[in-house]
Amino acid sequence: MIRIFITLFLAWQASSPEVMQHLQAGADAEKNRQYTVAISEFRKAAELDPQSAENFVRLGQAYLENRDYGGAIPPLKQALKLSPEMLPAHQLLGYALLAQGYAAQAIPHLEKARDEAALGIAQLEVGQLSDAVKNLQSALAKNPHEPDLIYYFGRASGLLSKESIDNLLATYPDSARAHQAMAENYYVLRQMPQAESEFNEAIRLRPDIPKLHLELGLVYAGSAQWPKAEEAFRAETKLQPGSAEAAYRLGNALLQQGKVKEARAELIRSDGLQPEMPETLYSLGKAASQEGDSAAAEKAWKKVVELENGTPLAAQAHFALAGLYRKQSKPEQAEHEMEEFKKLQNNGVANEEAPPAQ
Amino acid sequence: MPKTLIAALVLAALAPLTFEVKPRQGVDFVLENSPTSQKYLIETMPGGVALLDYNNDGLLDIFLVNGGKVSDPMQTPESFDRSNPKYWNRLYRQNKDGTFTDVTKQAGLANAGDGNYGMGVAVGDYDNDGYPDVFVTNYGKNTLYHNNGNGTFTDVTEKAGVASGGWSVSAGFFDYDNDGKLDLFVTRYMEWDTKHSKTCGGEWRTYCPPEEFPATTSILYHNRGDGTFEDVSRRSGIPSKKGRALGVAFADYDDDGFTDIFVANDGMQQFLFHNNGNGTFTERGLEAGAALSEDGRRLSGMGTVFQDYDNDGRPDIIVTELPREIYGVYHNEGKGMFSYQSLQAGLGELSSGSSGWGVGLEDFDNDGWKDLFIAQGHVLDNVEQIDPSLKYKELPLLAMNHNARFERVDSGANAPWAGRGAAFGDLNNDGWQDVIMTILGGPPQIFMNRGGKQHWLVISLRGTRSNRDGFGARVRVNGQTRFATSAGSYLSASDKRLHFGLGSNATATVEVAWPSGSRQTLNGVHADQFLDVVEPEKP
Repeated sequence: MIRIFITLFLAWQASSPEVMQHLQAGADAEKNRQYTVAISEFRKAAELDPQSAENFVRLGQAYLENRDYGGAIPPLKQALKLSPEMLPAHQLLGYALLAQGYAAQAIPHLEKARDEAALGIAQLEVGQLSDAVKNLQSALAKNPHEPDLIYYFGRASGLLSKESIDNLLATYPDSARAHQAMAENYYVLRQMPQAESEFNEAIRLRPDIPKLHLELGLVYAGSAQWPKAEEAFRAETKLQPGSAEAAYRLGNALLQQGKVKEARAELIRSDGLQPEMPETLYSLGKAASQEGDSAAAEKAWKKVVELENGTPLAAQAHFALAGLYRKQSKPEQAEHEMEEFKKLQNNGVANEEAPPAQ
Repeated sequence: MPKTLIAALVLAALAPLTFEVKPRQGVDFVLENSPTSQKYLIETMPGGVALLDYNNDGLLDIFLVNGGKVSDPMQTPESFDRSNPKYWNRLYRQNKDGTFTDVTKQAGLANAGDGNYGMGVAVGDYDNDGYPDVFVTNYGKNTLYHNNGNGTFTDVTEKAGVASGGWSVSAGFFDYDNDGKLDLFVTRYMEWDTKHSKTCGGEWRTYCPPEEFPATTSILYHNRGDGTFEDVSRRSGIPSKKGRALGVAFADYDDDGFTDIFVANDGMQQFLFHNNGNGTFTERGLEAGAALSEDGRRLSGMGTVFQDYDNDGRPDIIVTELPREIYGVYHNEGKGMFSYQSLQAGLGELSSGSSGWGVGLEDFDNDGWKDLFIAQGHVLDNVEQIDPSLKYKELPLLAMNHNARFERVDSGANAPWAGRGAAFGDLNNDGWQDVIMTILGGPPQIFMNRGGKQHWLVISLRGTRSNRDGFGARVRVNGQTRFATSAGSYLSASDKRLHFGLGSNATATVEVAWPSGSRQTLNGVHADQFLDVVEPEKP
């Protein structure tokens, strides 16, 4: 269960001095993390004033703090009997039930309390995946640096995705989308022959599905089968002439085969479709350099350096610029770029994976 | 000319070059790398091969380096059972009929030392007596065998002072100070021993990448000329950078008259040691543009060759790598600078799924352009389990050079192997370059060139003021250039003779720039001959 601290600002109703004494002693014990003492004090207060929902909530909270979730449930239920709309009681009872494994029972209480994080977790536990994803995403937007939330969101999304795919495979096993899903699974597992076969089957059934050819191209690129990669990326660019990624991938496949002129044209097209993409610009610089157009190469790589800051791609651009300036007999500029590259290299950046050129 | 004849000639010219790959009678060697469940890194790294004419009968002989027995696990002190004939290095003498005879024992080469696991071989006539000597690198102590000139060798390691230690890999003879005596460079891989070995790969249990072990230094020995060598590493500046060196090749890349050193390092930047001409070297790989990939990435450098592939007269560098990298082609731009030209040279398509080791730039079809042969096979013997798109055993790469762009052709190999060392030379003296490749756990594969109709010229240098082998000489023939060396490739030593394909030219102009500084030009040299060129004794 996620660790969320709530502060209850319960207005202590007019109580007898004896009750007040126990409540105060319980609060002091809580501060000192003497939860068993706090439980004892809050219990006495609840016994002396059994009509006070707040006293039962305090007792339930003390149990929760003592990680005795089972013990927290009866006083919190009692609190809700006395005051059915009391939101802190719903929230705490939701936590207690969720922690005890009663996720389904926790859900209405957490809904009432509008606690998206805990509700999302409870929904994840009972398999209400799309609701879980929605609530966890919303909670994560408000608290983006909470690792527990990130974990549960990732898990819920993954399971939802798997559930959808399983559904697809069970219901429409011979559909293009089913083959695509299988192919993508194989791709992730690096089982490339199987991925290739499934992508090809998907394409045979529905050659018009966007990104299918692109994904097949990536399979070929991953194993350096550049002519086949080129063919697949070319098919994608025909299908989606407005796709900057398809043009970029095709440009790179051409570049790998030394078809520099064609590669450059395709990379320029990609840059036009989606300007200022650092990966495209970096490759464009390579193509320009190979064509002997040093000015264009310099411009593209300088832009990469400007767009990227301390990333592996920036390191690559510095390195490329150093080479370019060396060729141009500009030793000072070459040295400067090499120094920038070395700085990133020493920081361990230069050999990190940059976005793939293949 | 009748049309049918023209068609036949065109077809002959277009016919794919093929090698005949078959066992040579008498060569019964098996490279015993002894893989174990411990995945000791040494097991996947041997073994070297040399093509040399040890008895000066004009026929190339074969020397093969064996690994050794590796216990599972190894005990200390380490013993590799090298006195067992199964684990001997072997020398095969070529007979006049093209068969071979195992002369290991009679040549005095049977004792490789029980504590040595064999790696590579370098060949050079270090005492200028006209007979090639043999230096064997090991995990353990290295061994220098002096060729006695009567068919036998003597282990002179102790006297010569070249045993060193640790894990030596490729080595080569060259004359760094142009004093006429061959010096010796020995690469060392890493600080590693069986006691401090480890496995990687989690459930797959496989060989660890080099980064798991500390880098180390290579060694430079200066030849004193009295049969002994001096370790001048520290003085020369070679240990200024620690590496994980596997391959080494030599050439004078900046044309200053002094031979430079290129070291292929595994999993880090490559080293280009510039010879300062005063006994010291400066590592300039990064500044010269020959250290990293085009994208500034470290490379898994293994084998290397330092020759001119585009016939511009300047030596270029090719480095073999692991898959997902592209074999590095560093084109020599002049003025001491290189540019990464792998894609332009066509290697993007040819190499990025392969693991390369031994490598040679040789004109296999005698068309005047040096072609590429690379022994291939992954480091990890279980790589298919880890990444099904990769293969442990691969076909070697044979790629023909068409105006400085390489295109794959059928090598004639009939099965994939775990290729490692490779040496190049004309085994049957027909003017067409042949190849011998070592494979882990198997016999060496010999690729006999089927030949063709193009002309050729094979040159043997004999230095007088320069070292007798002429290593370091720059030889130009009809616009092609070769740098005289037997080193390069991976763990191996090639035929020291310089082979040139002449295409349709029946004559050649030969220009030799000797390490001593003297220059020689021979005009109107007839093609299709083995030419001896002797250095003038006076400048």
